[in-house]
Amino acid sequence: MIEIHDGHFHFSEITNIPLVNEEGIRLGKIKDYFVNYEEVYPSVLAIQYKKNGQFFYLNWEHVKTFSRKKVVVKNEAPVGRSRTYPKINTPKIVTGLLAEQFADPMVEYPAIGKIILDKQIVDTSGKKVVRVNDIQFIQVGHNLRVVHAAVGLKSMIRRLGFEKIISVLQKITTLRPKFLDHETVINWKYVLAVPDQSVQQHVRLSLSLEDFKGLHPADLADILEDLSNKGREAIFRELDPELAAETLSEIDPDMQINLLKNEDPSSAAEIIENMSPEDAADILNEMNDDRADAILAEIDDTDFHDEIKYLLDYEEESAGGLMTPNFFSFNSKLTKEESLQLIRNNPDEAHHNGDIFITDDNGKLIGICSFLDLLITSENLALEQIMHKDDIKSVAPSEHYGEVIDIMNKYNLVNIPVIDQEEKLLGVVFIDELLPWILNEK
Amino acid sequence: MKNKFIIKFLAIPIIAKIMLFFTIVGPGLITANIDNDAGGIAIYSVVGAHTGYRLLWILGPITIALVMVQEMCSRMGIVSGKGLADLIREKFGLKVTFYTLILCLFADLGNTAAEFAGIASAGEIFNISKYKTIPASIIFVWLLVTKGDYKIVERFFLVGCSIYLCYIVSGFLSSPDLSAIKSSFLLQDLKSITKDDLPLIVALIGTSITPWMQFYIQSAVVEKGTGIKFLWHSRLDVIVGCILMSLVTAFIIISCAATMYKSGIRIESAKDAALALGPLAGKYAMTLFGIGLFNASLFAAALLPLAASYYVCQGMGWESGIDKSFSEAPHFFSIFTFIVLVSGGLILIPEINLFKILIWSQIINGILIPAILIFIVNLCNDPDIMGEYTNGPMYNFFCYLIIATMLSVNGYLIITSLI
Repeated sequence: MIEIHDGHFHFSEITNIPLVNEEGIRLGKIKDYFVNYEEVYPSVLAIQYKKNGQFFYLNWEHVKTFSRKKVVVKNEAPVGRSRTYPKINTPKIVTGLLAEQFADPMVEYPAIGKIILDKQIVDTSGKKVVRVNDIQFIQVGHNLRVVHAAVGLKSMIRRLGFEKIISVLQKITTLRPKFLDHETVINWKYVLAVPDQSVQQHVRLSLSLEDFKGLHPADLADILEDLSNKGREAIFRELDPELAAETLSEIDPDMQINLLKNEDPSSAAEIIENMSPEDAADILNEMNDDRADAILAEIDDTDFHDEIKYLLDYEEESAGGLMTPNFFSFNSKLTKEESLQLIRNNPDEAHHNGDIFITDDNGKLIGICSFLDLLITSENLALEQIMHKDDIKSVAPSEHYGEVIDIMNKYNLVNIPVIDQEEKLLGVVFIDELLPWILNEK
Repeated sequence: MKNKFIIKFLAIPIIAKIMLFFTIVGPGLITANIDNDAGGIAIYSVVGAHTGYRLLWILGPITIALVMVQEMCSRMGIVSGKGLADLIREKFGLKVTFYTLILCLFADLGNTAAEFAGIASAGEIFNISKYKTIPASIIFVWLLVTKGDYKIVERFFLVGCSIYLCYIVSGFLSSPDLSAIKSSFLLQDLKSITKDDLPLIVALIGTSITPWMQFYIQSAVVEKGTGIKFLWHSRLDVIVGCILMSLVTAFIIISCAATMYKSGIRIESAKDAALALGPLAGKYAMTLFGIGLFNASLFAAALLPLAASYYVCQGMGWESGIDKSFSEAPHFFSIFTFIVLVSGGLILIPEINLFKILIWSQIINGILIPAILIFIVNLCNDPDIMGEYTNGPMYNFFCYLIIATMLSVNGYLIITSLI
């Protein structure tokens, strides 16, 4: 029967403590713990200790008493001599995120401190990247389980060994500021270890898409921005083209190029094909011409290819560079029912800030009609009878984004058509495309 | 956005050419130029004026050491993709990182104070009281970093540093004692080193190879996202930067030796140091020097606390980023504000000897740098971090030689000052 004192421990409290046997002979100093990553809250499998510069391990079942002062093990307990722990094939009940990262054919576990302590992890619930200061264990039955990763000031103070000083100071000054009392922790089921050069030496990481499907691309982009180059590339590589495209649109422009740098032109093209044409044109603009051409050549979808090429001709900061070629533009003679049918058949073209732009037989913009206008018209009229044709605001493709913003602000617009000198409709600028420019993020 | 910036300045042709050149330079050139900050100018001037050409030869080994250290830090940044503080934290843990960073922060408080001292001294050349220049520059620096564009800070700093090229011209014009220079480099003056020279030697090392510069260059390389393919490219950048810096440094020492050592003038303040530009600028020497010193000090006063905030936040795992708001990265901005206020405030203390601060801050650097070097060499030899790009055995040998030399010089200094 194992005797565990206290019930909850921090990694920093239970390392560098002596390991002794029943007769009191010191076996070594405890350095780390091997845990079963297959479980959501990993249980401790073995204790790693150091003696005379060498590492050994002992299975948990041989522990007699466990406390912060020392750990006592049975005499004659078998000792393993390596820095890693052989994997056990236990039946999986629930798999934690970390477990999926240690995919077959790996047969050795590294110790938890080596992988997690002082390293960066992704907190998939808080959707950010943090550095781990300490690890929390809780006693469950006869075992210890990993439950939290501790980040934040309190764990830092404990790890540095300043806890006593701080509590003495608090007693003297009777100040108890909240930030010193509150322990910031991340529940272990949300912890995702970041692939790293050293970790890869021990394990082959495979990240399951499930982990990331739940995250909004904007959050995923934030996480990727916070990681180191290697971590970012390793995670990005695992994303399927659709998710990669959405995430890429949200990432800082400088990083976009770096991420695509390592892909060959055909895989880069696959990702870009999943983006909107204006976002794709933006990225291709940032690259050097040879690379952009190589990727363009690999784009199979000819329509998309032409759309991008068309947009690339315009300056990034002008209406032409900001506009999208995806919008509804119908001939004025179409009826309401015909228009609704067309919209039903092409839902992807519908933009949530969108209107329907009505053109004549030459492609000239002659009117605008909103989805609401279509909805409230009861009779099946032709578009030219429903549309607004007076005083339509529009911009030229060369118009600078500052002017575009001014006009949209003045007339309270969420989109604005872009026309050429003959008033032919070239594209539409939507307000969400302008937001980063307004906030000076580009 | 980049295009607009350049187009605006093409209206002024010469400045445009200089700016364009500096948009291409790498981190190596930037960090090398930062050596010409207030502390640097002070040390080099004093070395020239008080010891003549005797210590000139030390620049040789210092340049080699500087190239090696910066090369290691850029290589680490390129291969690992992480900053120096990150690597120290991940390998050595929180305790070691914490104490190391506290020491570096303390040294950088001194360095930033030196920059403000430089600003005050430059002000005095133009007879503006420090009680006007210092508060104004504190506010300027704080606003520049919190509201302004960091990249522009870097660029202006570099442009201003080109003033120091005047030292090269001045050095030639001052008709220096060529035989003395030769004998110095041929190490014939070794016996003449006395224990009074020791503080200057340590300061010389400390001002050329500052701890914070290594954190800075590694972060700059990581930010640039340079790939391993460009390893030799960045090595070249480091070498060119260091050679350029040594050239300017050597000429500062030579100019001061030629103008002041000969006549036995001792430097007590910035005004005295300005005399070295006499051969070039005659009665404008003061003004030229003043402008150069002011520019270098002002922008270093912005860059230095910024670099310090970065490495502290990286090491401790706090949010950092100059483009973040105060609430997003509170520790980052608080540390920055703290450094600027405390070091600026230090200079405002009446009767404080500005020049002594300039010298002593660099001595502290010199004492701290071997410790940081030990970390750097250790990390560079770790295959977990560097993969196949660890140091070769010959390289390691020279590294350890450099560290040993520095430690013995420091030890010597401490012992002789205690006796």
